[in-house]
Amino acid sequence: MHLRKFGVSILGAVLLTISSVTVADETCMSPYMAKIVGQEDYVYVWTLGVEGLGDEQDKLVTIDVNPKSKTYAKVVSVLSVGGRNEAHHSGLSDDRHYLWAGGLDSNKIFIFDVHSNPRKPTLHKVITDFVEKTGGIVGPHTFYALPGRIMVSGLSNNKDNGGRTGLAEYNSKGEFIATHWLPTDGDLRGAKKEGKFADGYGYDIRVQPRRNVMLTSSFTGWSNYMMDFGQMLQDGEAMKRFGNTMVVWDLHTRKPKKVIDVPGAPLEIRCAWGANNNYCFTTTALTSKIWLIYEDDNGEWQGKAVADIGDASKVPLPVDISITADDQGLWVDTFMDGKARYFDISDPFNPVQKFEEQIGSQVNMISQSWDGKRAYFSTSLLGNWDKTGEADEQWVKLYAWDENELALTHKWTIDFYKEKLGRAHQMRFGAYSLYTSKQNKGKEVTMLDK
Amino acid sequence: MKNILLFFILIFLNLQNVNANEYIKDEREKIQSERNSLAIGWRDNLGYELPKPGSYELYNIRMSGDGKIIDENGNENTLHNLMGGKITLLSFIYSNCTDTNGCPLATSVFYKIQEKIKKDNKILSKLKMISLSFDPTYDTPQIMSLYGKDLSYIKADWDFLTTESLEYLDPILKDYDQPVIRKYNKDGGYDGVESHLLRVFLIDDKKLIRNVYNVDFLHADLLINDIKTLLLGNE
Repeated sequence: MHLRKFGVSILGAVLLTISSVTVADETCMSPYMAKIVGQEDYVYVWTLGVEGLGDEQDKLVTIDVNPKSKTYAKVVSVLSVGGRNEAHHSGLSDDRHYLWAGGLDSNKIFIFDVHSNPRKPTLHKVITDFVEKTGGIVGPHTFYALPGRIMVSGLSNNKDNGGRTGLAEYNSKGEFIATHWLPTDGDLRGAKKEGKFADGYGYDIRVQPRRNVMLTSSFTGWSNYMMDFGQMLQDGEAMKRFGNTMVVWDLHTRKPKKVIDVPGAPLEIRCAWGANNNYCFTTTALTSKIWLIYEDDNGEWQGKAVADIGDASKVPLPVDISITADDQGLWVDTFMDGKARYFDISDPFNPVQKFEEQIGSQVNMISQSWDGKRAYFSTSLLGNWDKTGEADEQWVKLYAWDENELALTHKWTIDFYKEKLGRAHQMRFGAYSLYTSKQNKGKEVTMLDK
Repeated sequence: MKNILLFFILIFLNLQNVNANEYIKDEREKIQSERNSLAIGWRDNLGYELPKPGSYELYNIRMSGDGKIIDENGNENTLHNLMGGKITLLSFIYSNCTDTNGCPLATSVFYKIQEKIKKDNKILSKLKMISLSFDPTYDTPQIMSLYGKDLSYIKADWDFLTTESLEYLDPILKDYDQPVIRKYNKDGGYDGVESHLLRVFLIDDKKLIRNVYNVDFLHADLLINDIKTLLLGNE
């Protein structure tokens, strides 16, 4: 093991000091975030509107997922936002009062109030000047909670619609604070370039606060993500415009420190939770590999390809990943074959695939509960990249996961086309326990600003 | 026969030694585990190198909130008035809080800060620290005075404040995005604080929030570094 054993984790505390015990929640969220105690009550699905289907608008769909509820596994709220924006990712504020959701095409950011009535979110604020305020960032992607703030990663820029982009920092009220551009060959911004690339591309954000480290990954710009998928694959020039880097940042100062080569579009980043596990994982969309980004014995952050995902020659296209709370397992969804794969990552340098199952004709996102027993899957990747015809299924599915037996058991499916909702993308959890006293369990929400 | 006896004595001693080693190992693991559950602010060593003060930017996050408060002597005032033209560290706490990584951590970090800067008059004279109660019902001015009595033992400017009632406190909490979960008794009456989100705010001399800390960052060295960075920016 080459990892630097150092540091004390804070995880328990971090769970933000709300003195309650952490029992259940997604495992891939910001460590700053308040956690759900017990069973999640709702899943919020940021959904792309589809022309000719229902009201055709992007919407936040709320699903009741508490098995004790009379409306279990039903859609209980639909909040349309008045148009199509290429709805994509969403992220909760550190107090989990608000859900920020972005439109990759319109550059709008929708901030939903999910705490006043977790069953029926409302639209609290819409940010419409993202490009102007940030100095040209396009495609608000990841919404990552920092104390009292949200860091937003971009995918593109308004100069050439390519992949050069930055991070935008907002305060908890939805007001712009600063732009942090990703380092490029032309402007490394003080970062050390480790390999061949310094492309300045962006995608995801994750942090390891005990090491004062923030990591970003890299995808592609507006000119590609809004292009027809088949057309793009035939376009040699377009296929050159994918990110090949990850950047290690000083979290406290927001300064880039090192650019690491991770060829083939590294997408989602998931960091280990353990007190001494100073590493994170990512997967590369084009080369179908798991990469480990880790701190070595000298305190330097390094990148290493540690496993293959399926047969790279068949382009399975790894998309969302999810790490278990004990850092022992990693789920990897592959869009093209619609499969979920489970890797044993107890040795992070040698992940071993233990299980795979086809979830549907296409699958993108996965959100698992903190105890790992429930895994929710959704379908949509991008409006112009989803499959067509019969293969264009759009749903949210819940599976029960038995780690000992290595078995996924299907519990229910909500067909988003049948319900005339649209394309199901990112899922986030909500629960009354975040806002209600244990002493007053089952009674009204007691938050001060309710 | 003598050799056999010696052999058994050695085995016995060795077993005792193994048991002692096992015990020490278990104790070490227990201590390590307890340490691992403590926030970074309880440790002397932050665990990474801090940048040079002034070599980085602390962005203007937003204007800090104001509101009516009551000091340890029962006098009414406002938060902004108390901040004056100083750099302020503001923490929300309550005296009944027992979560090691909650209010006691915030108070401990403030204590460490004054300890570390007690010989630095330049910082000491320009820093205000405020601990404001989440729980005005129980934390009367007298209670807050007792809470702070033995903490601020040097010339550090550290106030222990409360409010007249929840009616005065809630707008302040909302302004600072400080959620709190309250308990209520069977009759629906207020029954104290159950939990809250730990945050400490660094506010500059113009009353702008320049950093927000949670347990991950709440370490005396890091906060002093940020205070120095603000002071250098003012020079």
